[in-house]
Amino acid sequence: MAKVVTCRTVDGQTIAFVDEIIGSGAMKDVYFSPDRSYVVAFYKSPQDDLTRERLQMIAGRYRESIFEQIGGDYWRNLFCWPTAILEHEGRLGLVAPAYPGHFFFAHGSRNHDMLGIRGKEKQGKWFATASLRNRFIDPRELGDWRGHLFVCLRLARAVRRLHMAGLAHSDLSYRNVLIDPSEGWACVIDIDGLVVPGKYPPDVVGTPDFIAPEVVMTSHLARDDPARRLPQRETDLHALAVLIYLYLLYRHPLRGGKIHDPDDPQRDERLAMGEGALFIEDPHDPCNRIRRSDVRLTDLPWADTDRLPFTLTGPYLAPLFRQAFVEGLHDPAQRPSANDWETALIKTLDLLLPCPGSRCEQKWYVFDNSTQPCCPFCGTPFPGLLPVLNFYSSRQAGQFRTDHHRLLVWPGQSLFLWHANSLIAPNEKLAETQQMPVGQFVFDEGCWSLVNARLPDLMDLATQTPVPLGGRLALSDGQRILLSREDGGRLVVVQMIESK
Amino acid sequence: MSIRRLPVYILLDTSGSMRGEPIHSVNAGLQSMFSALRQDPYALETVHLSIITFDVEAREYLPLTPLDAIRLDDIRAPDSGATFLGAALELLIRCVDRDVRKSTPDSRGDWRPLLFVMTDGSPSDLHTFRQTIPEIRRRDFGSIVACAAGPKARQDYLRELTAQVIALDTLDAAAFAGFFKWVSASVAVGSGHAGTGDADALPPLPSEIQL
Repeated sequence: MAKVVTCRTVDGQTIAFVDEIIGSGAMKDVYFSPDRSYVVAFYKSPQDDLTRERLQMIAGRYRESIFEQIGGDYWRNLFCWPTAILEHEGRLGLVAPAYPGHFFFAHGSRNHDMLGIRGKEKQGKWFATASLRNRFIDPRELGDWRGHLFVCLRLARAVRRLHMAGLAHSDLSYRNVLIDPSEGWACVIDIDGLVVPGKYPPDVVGTPDFIAPEVVMTSHLARDDPARRLPQRETDLHALAVLIYLYLLYRHPLRGGKIHDPDDPQRDERLAMGEGALFIEDPHDPCNRIRRSDVRLTDLPWADTDRLPFTLTGPYLAPLFRQAFVEGLHDPAQRPSANDWETALIKTLDLLLPCPGSRCEQKWYVFDNSTQPCCPFCGTPFPGLLPVLNFYSSRQAGQFRTDHHRLLVWPGQSLFLWHANSLIAPNEKLAETQQMPVGQFVFDEGCWSLVNARLPDLMDLATQTPVPLGGRLALSDGQRILLSREDGGRLVVVQMIESK
Repeated sequence: MSIRRLPVYILLDTSGSMRGEPIHSVNAGLQSMFSALRQDPYALETVHLSIITFDVEAREYLPLTPLDAIRLDDIRAPDSGATFLGAALELLIRCVDRDVRKSTPDSRGDWRPLLFVMTDGSPSDLHTFRQTIPEIRRRDFGSIVACAAGPKARQDYLRELTAQVIALDTLDAAAFAGFFKWVSASVAVGSGHAGTGDADALPPLPSEIQL
């Protein structure tokens, strides 16, 4: 048994760690606390005063500004945030919560865990590469496409929170975000590299695959060269867009067939990620499309951008991908914000349809506004009656305008408060009572209806008939339903699709 | 998609003096290196590995193979014999010329290959060794690391091949385990970071090895 070392943090808390390294990165050695609820990480090399001061602010003021507010607990699942710093036997260290259990592989790889990764951290790279998913990862770990959308949502939300606080992560990558697609969780780790714009210079350029083109292009310049571009909020936004694309399409948005320098792979890479970076699905310039000859069988079908184009991500996400990888690729100011991604992901989740195909690995897909919806992943058509609820909200009395937000009704679907009121968003600010469904959809004798659980104003507008709590309203094509009379209250227009 | 391969060549001394514990330690070290690399998703995607052994002759023990397809039997060392490192380098050049893909305007080639050389003695074919070094340089390796294992290894010769020479004091399991752990970390870093411009950066050395 290794001995337990007890020491004090800089702010005077008593902590303890088992003197046995459980993990070792490039910068730090990591130790468990005796009860494994937190870890202590010591820097391998001495750190300068600036780093010490920066860490102190991250564990102190910045942490408090996020966690010690109403709803602050929400963020404990989304960040692994250092809680204190300490000095022990001349080494600088920090204390951070241990990762929750769902971020460790429960099954690991295929064929009785042939790679021996059971119990290891779920680094995002495993889930973001088609061939690793196809060849190695146990299908029970892979989750479904809806789980991946939730991963992206939580990631976008975490980044949005950092940016709201004026912070930038500076090294977002699949190394620094743990994900659990089977449950839809994401957690941002390695927070100790946070940068505060104008205050602390970033000490990293980032991780390949995620470094913004302007940073790659100027990385050969001296740090204090005015033309050198360092990681900041806008470079986080490039990394975030790349991560979301990777987690939904399992291919890299810039790694296509274009060769920039046939003689020097290093220079070719620099150009492909920097000056010459080009979206593999650029609508105007096809020269970086993935070439069939470069594709391995295990990259398919994801490497086939004709079969699975980014537009399958639907009407909210696809424009953001275009904005990030076409307009904003070389113009950082044009990149979609984390908030844009969060909003688009929430609306996309409402636009999901379950795929009835028993062999479909994705199990969910985005409704494409077709009268004959069909899963883009496996080709199975959607069977039967499908109500589409289109949301409108009122900005002045009696006038409702479209919110460009729809909810698809399938067995088990519910209506929530954030559907009934445009001023409410499903995020960290929701109280627990606001998370209960306000209505439920049931399919009975060939007919869909909405059961009113908690909507006092629910009314069919054509007949002006109120629907009492517990009452049922049959859904029909063209029907208009008032959900709420409150400020921000919504009206629904129903479209009914009957697939053949 | 179009992933670049990272070719990694390992040259291992199997001369008579490696017989016994040293070669057992090398085998154990290799096995743990493979399992560590297979647990790294970056390495698993890009690394292709080849092993060339040398004693009285040089052999391509493992042709360039993707990580997940490697099935390796124990490497054996003969009872006695010379250390033909020069011949191994000649064989290496033939393998590199045959295996490593160059980019063309239409297809993506490999990363610059990495080379690790381990010996516990000095080249018996010194003339060939020295003649081959300029050829090795022309092959444009991403990095070359030589390991002088044990007290009889001659670091000065290895320095003619590369500036990066590390020394193992002993030929025991701990020393080789440390060395292969370091090789594995270097390869993993290479596979994850290739191309950022700091591709020459290697991870910090373990304490068992002295420079």
